Amino acid sequence: MSLTAWSRRARTPEPVPVRREIAVFEPADLFDIEIKDNPETNPVLCCTGDPAGAAAFNALWLKRIATSGRYAAAVSVRGQGGTPAAAGGPEARAHDVVQAAVTVPRQTVLIGHREGAAWAALAAGRYPAAGLVLVSPLRVPKQLPKPVGEPPVLLVVSESETQSKEVQAVSDEYGITPLTFAGAPDDVFKGATAEGLLDTVLSWLDAQKP
Amino acid sequence: MQEYSSQAAYDRGEAVCVIGAGASGLIAVKNLRENGFEVDCYERDTVLGGLWNPQNQHSPLYPNTHLVTSRSQTEIPDFPMPDDWPDYPSAAQMLEYLTAYAKHFGLSEHIWYGSEISHLEPVEGSRFEVVVKPAAGAAARRLRYGAVIIATGHHWSPNLPSYPGLDDFRGTVLHSSQLKDPSRLRGKHVLVIGGGNSGVDIACEAAVNAASCVHSVRRGSWHLPKYLGGEPADYALARLASRPKYLRRFLTDRILKGPKRLAERMGIEAPGPGPAGEEPVRNGRYLEHVGDGSIKRRGEVARFDGYEVAFADGTEIRPDLVVLATGYQPKIACVAPELLGGTRDEPAPRLFARMFSPKAQTLAVAGLVEPGVGVLPIVHWQTHAISRWLQVRKSDPERAESFKLQVNAESHHDAVEHVDPRRRLVVDAEEYLASLGRIIDTLEQEPAK
Ligand SMILES: Cc1cc2nc3c(=O)[nH]c(=O)nc-3n(C[C@H](O)[C@H](O)[C@H](O)COP(=O)(O)OP(=O)(O)OC[C@H]3O[C@@H](n4cnc5c(N)ncnc54)[C@H](O)[C@@H]3O)c2cc1C
Ligand SMILES: NC(=O)c1ccc[n+]([C@@H]2O[C@H](COP(=O)([O-])OP(=O)(O)OC[C@H]3O[C@@H](n4cnc5c(N)ncnc54)[C@H](OP(=O)(O)O)[C@@H]3O)[C@@H](O)[C@H]2O)c1
Repeated sequence: MSLTAWSRRARTPEPVPVRREIAVFEPADLFDIEIKDNPETNPVLCCTGDPAGAAAFNALWLKRIATSGRYAAAVSVRGQGGTPAAAGGPEARAHDVVQAAVTVPRQTVLIGHREGAAWAALAAGRYPAAGLVLVSPLRVPKQLPKPVGEPPVLLVVSESETQSKEVQAVSDEYGITPLTFAGAPDDVFKGATAEGLLDTVLSWLDAQKP
Repeated sequence: MQEYSSQAAYDRGEAVCVIGAGASGLIAVKNLRENGFEVDCYERDTVLGGLWNPQNQHSPLYPNTHLVTSRSQTEIPDFPMPDDWPDYPSAAQMLEYLTAYAKHFGLSEHIWYGSEISHLEPVEGSRFEVVVKPAAGAAARRLRYGAVIIATGHHWSPNLPSYPGLDDFRGTVLHSSQLKDPSRLRGKHVLVIGGGNSGVDIACEAAVNAASCVHSVRRGSWHLPKYLGGEPADYALARLASRPKYLRRFLTDRILKGPKRLAERMGIEAPGPGPAGEEPVRNGRYLEHVGDGSIKRRGEVARFDGYEVAFADGTEIRPDLVVLATGYQPKIACVAPELLGGTRDEPAPRLFARMFSPKAQTLAVAGLVEPGVGVLPIVHWQTHAISRWLQVRKSDPERAESFKLQVNAESHHDAVEHVDPRRRLVVDAEEYLASLGRIIDTLEQEPAK
């Protein structure tokens, strides 16, 4: 974040605060003594454009991430799931993501899905995420901020999206090549699609320096 | 390395040494780590948070200390405070926040507690040797670092005025930093000396708890309420600062007209046209207490005499308790003043851009400013710039040269010599941030093709 960007934001009215719904799954919640919270790994915080919000990740994602030894959380931004609606566009939703990120015990990876990818990308311009994972990004603003603290960035899209303009723009923006998963971009929370996608994301995360 | 006898010094290679684990030290450690540096931070106390931690042996917190700057103007730019906190968090919340920051970024593992740095000096060109003051019975440890950032704060050494007869005064005299327990005011006749934020806050505490409160102030200052036009005052004023100059002046005058008139009604002249460039007093209750008579304002104290205190105007009172809210003396004892641009006779630091040593490229100070606004964001950008500089000076000689020219130019107008010694650390926040922005741009911007 540049000093100018910060100073502009510090002089703009803050979005109306909302009581945010945050779902958390820790390795300790797994009733499996073999799996421990590994303090060497970074926690993961997820958000999605799906109106279900945090609950969408409850079916499978959070548990799978916790199984890898990571603290796993998901946030419903304003108007999603159990979080009341309140005024504000993508910037206010990015604010919700940052506010959730600072409550995670350690520096966290941000994973955003669909519109959630746009919010996560904006949030990473304000908060030094440990990593930024964009899954099938949708409605991403033209001007994306440079991520604070230069985290590693992963773009994962469904095979059908690889040629889309949006995906190309995002991969150009970060100078990265997207990885792909098999399945539909809007249906990533269950079944084989979820399993495959999570394998890709988690092995990428494990390959990054802690 | 061999030419200096360094038998005992442990070499930490290119690691950076940060002195102090208050807000400034913590922010420095986080930003250095983010830029790839190994860091050792030394804290003389056994806790982090510096003056915001009441467990710090010398903490200057007094009863009911709250921030005078609002949440959005005080939080660290890349780690916001929870947005359900009040506009003006308490000292306890400030400590909770700094503790969460340290935990979130894993800073504690880089901090050595109970380790006071007693001395540091340059060795082998740009490197530094630091001496950790020994715990009782042990030998002093010496270590070598690639660079040092001093973040020791400037509110540790009380400024104690002397008055004729003070030593024989029969009542109790405390510096504001010693007034830990609010019950000390209860039922007492209290005299508070000093019109800064501490003096004004404590006078308000006395107004509601003590039997009587007289407040001695020797000159006027800007009195701002905590809210202006329905918004936190610092936020409202900062917003105006981004307007064009002619408009800003007009709008600022307009928004300050009410508070200024109220202060004048209470006999307080505002110095200068606006509160920039001088730390304003930010307390909405004070003038109301003056207005309802629970705080009585007086001028300068002339002398103490047995149980009595006499003022310059000839009046006298008989206080049980005198609180000297007369501020602090900035002191950096662990380094020779010359290294920070001072002299033996005039030891006050004269730094480039208020942070870089003019003598050593790898020595900097964080947080040695009084910006009249939130300090933490300023320290964030300072330490961001310092971290980038430490990278650039190695990797990019050309950019390093333009940086040197630039900090020199940026420091031109801070001719400290003519400044009242008590205002040496004051900066105009707006100008200083702009200057930090230019320095960071020089260090980061892609060179023009
Ligand atoms: C009463 C009061 C209220 C304030 N209110 C506000 C406010 O509302 N808003 C705001 O923005 N600012 C406020 N400030 C300004 C405050 O200075 C900053 O907020 C901030 O806390 C400064 O942090 P620091 O780390 O620079 O200094 P400090 O908090 O003083 O920390 C310095 C640390 O260095 C350690 N240390 C010192 N010497 C050595 C040594 N030789 N070796 C090892 N360790 C050492 C100390 O033990 C301490 O932990 C206030 C200050 C005071 C006194
Ligand atoms: N709640 C808060 O957040 C809060 C509270 C307190 C302090 N602070 C900050 O902490 C810092 C220190 O504040 P402070 O109020 O303790 O100190 P300060 O701002 O330095 O104020 C000291 C006051 O004492 C007066 N004084 C000094 N020497 C004197 C003498 N010999 N005789 C008579 N009066 C004398 C000064 O008058 P002159 O100006 O004439 O020298 C001034 O009014 C400031 O940065 C302040 O903003 C913040």
